[in-house]
Amino acid sequence: MKLSVNGKDREVDVEPDMPLLWVLRDELGLTGTKYGCGVAQCGACTVHMDGLAVRSCQLAVGDVTGDITTIEGLGTPDSLHAVQDAWVEHQVAQCGYCQSGQIMSAAQLLDFNDSPTDADIDAAMGGNLCRCGTYPRIRAAIKSAAQKIQEA
Amino acid sequence: MKRALLASAFTLMSALSVSAGETVDIVPPAEGSVTTEAALEAWSRIYEVASHPRCSNCHVGEDNVPMWSGPSYGKTRPHGMNINGGESRIGAEAVLCSTCHTTKSEDWENANTTPHAAPRVAMDWQLAPVEAEWFGKSSVEVCNQLRDPDRNGDRTFMDIAEHLDHDLILHWAWKPGGGREAAPYSLQEHVNDILTWGVGGMPCEND
Repeated sequence: MKLSVNGKDREVDVEPDMPLLWVLRDELGLTGTKYGCGVAQCGACTVHMDGLAVRSCQLAVGDVTGDITTIEGLGTPDSLHAVQDAWVEHQVAQCGYCQSGQIMSAAQLLDFNDSPTDADIDAAMGGNLCRCGTYPRIRAAIKSAAQKIQEA
Repeated sequence: MKRALLASAFTLMSALSVSAGETVDIVPPAEGSVTTEAALEAWSRIYEVASHPRCSNCHVGEDNVPMWSGPSYGKTRPHGMNINGGESRIGAEAVLCSTCHTTKSEDWENANTTPHAAPRVAMDWQLAPVEAEWFGKSSVEVCNQLRDPDRNGDRTFMDIAEHLDHDLILHWAWKPGGGREAAPYSLQEHVNDILTWGVGGMPCEND
């Protein structure tokens, strides 16, 4: 089975009903995407398919219909995505387990809305849980990233 | 050119056969054979389906908030995670329904066995149109909506039966999996009731 992940063509030999999350982590070694609940209740496994956020624990690899981007492909250490940069600036992460999913959801939000209000952020990010409760810092970082994107 | 035309005709034929979905028989009773009383009895069963959580949870009003209700959910509450389907009714304004309710392939039968997981079908998940608000609505309200072309997608009762035949989200209501209670009767029985109600003149209890 062929997949496009972070701009590279990858070949995997797996059953089509295997969750994409398993393929990313166990077959391709891309462990930045996290397993949280396994039932689309927490958002930790969020990746992009053709630029749209999707819970990779709920998407069977055989049902992938577009290019996949994971946290590893969103930016690089030398050239961070605006959301990743803001995450560092605001020191958002506490335990950090949810942050790759949070960042992927925030990146999609800003692709469609570069000046989100608090309500816009709450609506777009409500499916991404943070058990450390860093929501105020998540919100602040998204606003900083929005400003950077507007200035770019 | 000829080859291209043939190819597109073949594609169209394939598309039509795929859109036939999980086929039910659509055989209406003979014209004039259904009394108003029998049609109202069929309606009462239709309303049991329409008001069942598997259907009404996504037939919500203009707040665009899907519901979680029914035996497998305990207390009736709005869909968790602050989900709002938006005016798009597909969640395009915030979180797409398909972010979690991913679109599965048609030949994957047992995709919804896990309790609490987001159900998925071989179609993009979405709310029903706002005109078809059923959640919390009475039998008379739903009946009048369903027979009103301005609020039922301009459908005859035959069109409604065909819609039930084609729409895979509707099919899911009878095989929801994951410990969720299925809608009552069966898809075929529900279609038969729609046809009986239709041939009987689509009566409502307030007529």
